[in-house]
Amino acid sequence: MKGLAPLFLGIFGTFAFSWLGLTVVPNWQIGHLDPQSDEEGTDIYPQPQSGMFERGAHVYAANGCIYCHSQQVRADYAAADIERKWGNRRSAPRDYIFEQPVSLGKMRMGQDIANIGARAPAEQASPSPAGAAAPSASPSGGTSPAASAAPQGGAPAAGSPSPPSSPAQQGAAVSSPPSPAPAAVAASASPAVSPSLAAGAPWPVQTAGEPPMYSAAWHHVHLYSPRSINVDSNMPSYRFLYEKHRIRDARSADALQLTGSDAPPQGWEIVPSFDAKCLVAYLVSLNQSHPLKEVRSVGGAPAAPAPPAGSPPASPAPSK
Amino acid sequence: MNEEPKTPARIGQGMDYGEQDDVQQVHAAVQREKREPRVGAEPLSIWLIAIYGLAVFFGGAYLGRYSGNFMSGGLDPMGAPPTAKKAVAGPGGGEQAAELSPRDRGKKIFAANCQTCHQATGQGVPGQYPPLAGSEFTNGGSRRMGMIVLKGLQGPVKVKGQQYGSAVMQPWDKTLTDQKIADVMTYERSDWGNSASPVTAEQIAALRKELANHPESFTEQDILGAPDEDLPGGAPAGGAAPKPGEAAKPGQPPKPQG
Amino acid sequence: MNAAGIPLKEPAISAVAGDTEQLERAYIDASTRVPVLMFYTSAMAWLILGTLLAGFVSFKLHSPDLLSDISFLTWGRVRPAHMNVMVYGWASMAGMGTAIWLMARLCRTVLRYPLLLVAGACFWNLGVLLGVGGILLGDSTGYQWLEFPGYAAIILFVAYTLVASWAVLMFRYRRGEQIYITQWYLLGAFLWFPWLYAAGQLMLFVVPVQGVLQSAVGWWYANNLLFLWFGAIALGTAYYMIPKVIGRPVYSYHLATIGFWSYALFSSWTGMQRLVDGPFPAWMITASIAATILTMIPVATVGLNHHMTMRGYFPLMRYSPTLRFTVFGAMSYTVFSVVGVLISLRSVARYVNFTQASVAYSHLGLYAFFTMVIFGSMYYIVPRLIGREWRYASLIKLHFWASAYGIGLMTLMLLAGGFLQGSSMEDPSLAFSESVETVLPYLRGRSLAGLLLTASHFIFAYHFGLMLLGLGRTSTVPTFLNPVEAEASGGH
Repeated sequence: MKGLAPLFLGIFGTFAFSWLGLTVVPNWQIGHLDPQSDEEGTDIYPQPQSGMFERGAHVYAANGCIYCHSQQVRADYAAADIERKWGNRRSAPRDYIFEQPVSLGKMRMGQDIANIGARAPAEQASPSPAGAAAPSASPSGGTSPAASAAPQGGAPAAGSPSPPSSPAQQGAAVSSPPSPAPAAVAASASPAVSPSLAAGAPWPVQTAGEPPMYSAAWHHVHLYSPRSINVDSNMPSYRFLYEKHRIRDARSADALQLTGSDAPPQGWEIVPSFDAKCLVAYLVSLNQSHPLKEVRSVGGAPAAPAPPAGSPPASPAPSK
Repeated sequence: MNEEPKTPARIGQGMDYGEQDDVQQVHAAVQREKREPRVGAEPLSIWLIAIYGLAVFFGGAYLGRYSGNFMSGGLDPMGAPPTAKKAVAGPGGGEQAAELSPRDRGKKIFAANCQTCHQATGQGVPGQYPPLAGSEFTNGGSRRMGMIVLKGLQGPVKVKGQQYGSAVMQPWDKTLTDQKIADVMTYERSDWGNSASPVTAEQIAALRKELANHPESFTEQDILGAPDEDLPGGAPAGGAAPKPGEAAKPGQPPKPQG
Repeated sequence: MNAAGIPLKEPAISAVAGDTEQLERAYIDASTRVPVLMFYTSAMAWLILGTLLAGFVSFKLHSPDLLSDISFLTWGRVRPAHMNVMVYGWASMAGMGTAIWLMARLCRTVLRYPLLLVAGACFWNLGVLLGVGGILLGDSTGYQWLEFPGYAAIILFVAYTLVASWAVLMFRYRRGEQIYITQWYLLGAFLWFPWLYAAGQLMLFVVPVQGVLQSAVGWWYANNLLFLWFGAIALGTAYYMIPKVIGRPVYSYHLATIGFWSYALFSSWTGMQRLVDGPFPAWMITASIAATILTMIPVATVGLNHHMTMRGYFPLMRYSPTLRFTVFGAMSYTVFSVVGVLISLRSVARYVNFTQASVAYSHLGLYAFFTMVIFGSMYYIVPRLIGREWRYASLIKLHFWASAYGIGLMTLMLLAGGFLQGSSMEDPSLAFSESVETVLPYLRGRSLAGLLLTASHFIFAYHFGLMLLGLGRTSTVPTFLNPVEAEASGGH
């Protein structure tokens, strides 16, 4: 090749083409999405998340959860994700507009957790659709709409580092065990093991062991000792996110309910660190069960006028 | 490649290592090395061109088939329409909104905009935010209430015998449409034991026009200076007709595949 | 004619290089000694560290309780640490070392401004060190190949700026009219990388784009890093080493041109296929799949060009370590690209997306293709920098076979395991845990392959260390893999 000009121009040109095409144009197309709301400007989804959520997202990224868990549900015609009850609709760009970092994930050595928060028992589901639709249920003093649906559980345990953002949001949006009573009591006494999703999410809520499945307390036990919950689990334990304390006066409200070989010695307790609480707060907030206008929810209106969005063989091939 | 003959000194220009002596003993690997690579000029074979054609054909066909029409909403590769908005189920569905009465719509608007201060119970916060339940403004004529909602209120105000003052109510004329203001007022005037006449969007539109030149929030004097009457053109209590056509826009018809 | 019946004499067209040219090359080689060895030595150190981390990662994947109580040894931190050590520590540094040497040779001028390179290598090492430390201490950003925290990324960028400005400066001193094919690729790599890296950092961390676009930018970055940085360096190196060692011109200039431009155009558009069926407008993903299909054009072109250049000379791979590694790498480029097309088609991606198959793809690109070519170039370049020949032919042979079998086994295990894992994941009648159960035996196989690779890296590092210490052979004959009469030594 002779002459530098064509070489340089070509090198810049090809790359500029790719850069424009794959980052700039998409940014123009879907880079400035707003939350969806209904005609009255209410029922807003998604909603900005609390400071604990943000910190939890960073804990999630920093500890490499993304290398085994994805957070994206594929459409029903493209994969079995929805049949696996990982979601009741495919994920859409709008679901993620308040997340930073976004952890879509590329590997499923563990389950998809795009909707793990939706599987939590009712009292814990943070921005559940039901709550978002009728926030009047909760006399919230917070300013954030996200806070409205959350239980007014205990504030983060004393002694934890001060949160990075508004404490009002944090206390309201998520808190580890829902009640000041020990988690086990709450669990055994709690009749609210029913799915939070009156809106029609199909997840069966199982009760495995002490804390209700997918509750915050359950997540803590699972993170601390995955194989105490599922013997086949391949997940490493994250004990370094937990602290071992001597019990002073009474058991801490957020101490883990551990059994068997995981249990701490008499007189000791295992409590989550602030990072662990943020991580769990993040997990229980992951919830894409709210309907979005741009995608079809499974179990939606039966009389959909159009043929099902994608059944590739059925729809006429768009031959050109 | 017409280069002038090179002397070792010339070649070695710019060297920083003082290794000239060493280099005089050319390493055997360099000595036995073959020439720097050159390029032949064989032409393209027809088979290769055929491969290009195949790749371009399949690539192009693939792009055409699964492009989702290059729309930002085209999440589905087959270019299915944004999946018929009517199919959305649940509390947020557009369809459902159409069936709601003005009072129910107002309740939602209240929850989203008013409840933080006036509380879901309509009781307000003592000393800060006046109550709506049983308030003389809420239960009085819709004119005074409409003025407050549209333009906001600042300064001290007395409601149900209590003095409130520190907080400011923001004007809502920029944020909410006539319909929404009418709906939320209708709701506020009929819940928590209140029972005043409903308000229509036309009434609010007229009031909005009337107040268009009022630049800032009202004070208590302004409000009390206005007559305590219903806005003209209102319907009698309990009879407001819903406006489904305005509240819900049906999904666009599915676009045919091109 | 030698034992293998190969015409080892050069074709008539190329006269034996004259003394002047020899002397010129000797000067150039001497001038590149310090910077290139610096890059190579650092790269070797990172390779060993990355290998150890890889073994740890691989074993922990099927034995999750191994040392999991220690925060900085948790799987989720060691894995990105391993990837980034390999990508930025080993591959980038070794690639830059080779690229620097090639630039000096092909510009036909002694290396100027060596201090730029020395400083660049120091900063680069510092950046990688801080970045890996940051990941292990819990500062990872969570974006594939961009896990380094900001403080490390900025140092890497400074280091890179030094190296790239050197490359541009060097290019201005070049002699001769022609710009050889290798230089196209190298210039491309040197100019693409900063844009890519800056765009990735800016759009993800400085002024983050909204929501899922971050993932799109992340994969756009990762794939382009693979193709436009590593791939370009490796192809450029192969375009030099193959004709150089066999002493025959590259088959066709036209093929080279088409190959280069189609490579730049199409491979830069891939990346989104990794997000297939994700929450994106379908056209983005389809465009990348189409681009992946179109990468068959450069693959066929470059592959044919290399093949026709090598035709009749393949038996030389029996003797020359450089040729053996380089040709293996060049062939892997074809395999890598074909696998890339296969696993990105929507109908297949349904089964392999979210499985170990995508790990196989990355390893094919970064190891079977790039790393093998770079190993080959190091076998060629290091003796010229040090003035000694490689000491043991047996070690080179061991290195090659352990690497080749290791990466082959690893790819097969991950691809097969990935397909099975995806198939059971797509069958909702099976519990999810069964998909994990399915892949575990293959992950054990992968650990075995990892052991082979570990052995090969330690062997190479040991051999390289001997060379550094000046313990190589002093000889006029290069170290051939198999005995050959002196006449055969001509090309290496």
